[in-house]
Formats: sequence, structure tokens, C-alpha cells
Amino acid sequence: METQLNEKESLNLINEMISTSRNNLQKGMGKIFLLWGYLVFVISLINFILLIILPDPVNYYSYFIWFLMGIGYPVHYRLVKNMQQEKLIKTYVDKIMDYVWIAFSISILIVVIGMIGSSVLTMPASSEVENGSGFLRWFQWMLMPPFMLSLYGFALFISGKAYDFKPLVRGGIICWVASLLLIAGIHCQYMSEIQQVTLAIASLFGFIIPGNILNSKEKRNV
Amino acid sequence: MYKDLDPILHSQLRLAVMSILISAEEADFVYLRKQTNASAGNLSAQIEKLREAGYIEVKKDFKGKVPCTTCRIAPKGIDAFEKYVKVIQSYILIKK
Repeated sequence: METQLNEKESLNLINEMISTSRNNLQKGMGKIFLLWGYLVFVISLINFILLIILPDPVNYYSYFIWFLMGIGYPVHYRLVKNMQQEKLIKTYVDKIMDYVWIAFSISILIVVIGMIGSSVLTMPASSEVENGSGFLRWFQWMLMPPFMLSLYGFALFISGKAYDFKPLVRGGIICWVASLLLIAGIHCQYMSEIQQVTLAIASLFGFIIPGNILNSKEKRNV
Repeated sequence: MYKDLDPILHSQLRLAVMSILISAEEADFVYLRKQTNASAGNLSAQIEKLREAGYIEVKKDFKGKVPCTTCRIAPKGIDAFEKYVKVIQSYILIKK
């Protein structure tokens, strides 16, 4: 059964079909944004509280709470698996965005591993370090949040523009501005605490709010 | 006087399938059926014609335990689609 078309009908059909597969964010993405958003939000607030209540230099240990981010990976893997099961179409933008987020994760790993490496390689003998807290004091904790926020901004901005989803673009810009402010104010008093609060605010705007908007959009479409 | 239109593409359902696949890396049979409102049998037959012409690649796989058919456009299909659109545009220009 074949329906023949005239030239105008052909062009209309092409336009109509191409627009059906336009670049909507993949179903299930909202949950992934919420997972990482809430993890960063909760961990940064706990880190903030620990920095305040623990005495110096013991409070440097509080940064180890960030290793809890690791619990996000198995959940993330599960969510992605579910997404792949339900996914009926993969656009070229989906493919490129997958690579952007893989590249983002690699960049985060490089920053973390590189900074740990540089601290270990350049650390003087413990006795030379003020208060004798060794690696914990020597590690450049203060540089981590601005680096991370800059990378968040990069990935969020590209995702938002690619999918034409403004909450992500806004989130990305907020992360960049936060990163800039944290770098500029790195020598200010109480900067460690300010950084953690900034991370929480940035994750709220960069991940939690867009994630919730995506989830409610999905529910409306079902 | 007009250049001939590719008969493989100049049919409603096959053109619809090709138009979806030109803008996607790959699409599931269920998605194609939903977007084109075609019956499973008719869509299968048209997909087979496109595959035989070398315009698309068809992969049969499983998602968990559920069988699934995924289609993606082949380089020959991209060329044919581009040529088809150019011919259609030339028709419209001549008519104007």
C-alpha cells in the first residue's frame, strides 16, 4: 500500500517527521540531575557544618566526606540502564551529549587525581608544615570547588543550549559566576565555609531545579 | 523535463521513515510506528524495501528479554535523501 505524494506534500511530510525527532532531553534525565544535585547539595552542607563545629586542624578531615559522591555511581548506572531500556530514539544531539558528560566526568577525575598527586609530590616533611597536619593541610582543598563549579558550568551550559532548555543554561551560568567569585575571593576569611554554601546553592540551580522541572514535564507528557 | 524522483523514497511511509532517520542516529521500530501511524505489517514491508535498497541498516536485538528492531540511515540513504530533497525543491522553483 503506497500513497504517492506531490512535491508540496513531500516537503510537508519531511518537515513534520523531522520535527517529531527534534532534540528533546531524554526521558529519565531529570532523575539523573536530581541524583547528583542532591548528593552535592547534602554533602556540601554537611561539610559546611563540620567545618564550623570541628576544631582546626581536625576540620580538614571533613573534606573526606566528598568520597560519599561515589555512592552516586551505582545509582547512576541503574538509572542509565533504565533509560536505555525505555529509549526509542537516539538523536545525534543525545549522542554528543553523552560524550560531553563522559568528558566532564574524566575532567573531574583528572582534577581530583592531579591535585592529590601534586600535594603528595610537593608536600614537605610533616614537621615543616604548620601544626603538623601533613597532607591534610598541604592539600589545596580551596582550589577544588572553583574548579568543579567551572566544569559544572561547562557541561550544564552545553547541555542547556543543545537541548534548548533554559533552566540548564541558567544553572551553567550561575556555576560559572560562582566559580569566578570563589577564585577571586580565595584568600578571604571563612572562604572554606563560603565555598561549601556556594556549592550547595550552585547544585540547587544547576541540577536540582532543572531536574525537578524535567521530571514534572515528563509526568505531564505521560 | 524534470529530473526523476527516486521511486524508493517517493512514497509516503518510506519518506516518513527516512525523514525521521535522517535526523536521528537510530530509532526503534515502535517509535517509527508511533510517529508514522502505520500498521506493523506495512511498516515492516517498507523498512525491508529501504533496507534492500541499502538506504537503511536494520539491527534486531533484545532490550532485556524483549526483542527490538532498531533502524539507522546508511550513507547511501543520506545521499539519496539529499538528492530527493533537491529534486523536490527544483520542482517547486520551476512551478513558481
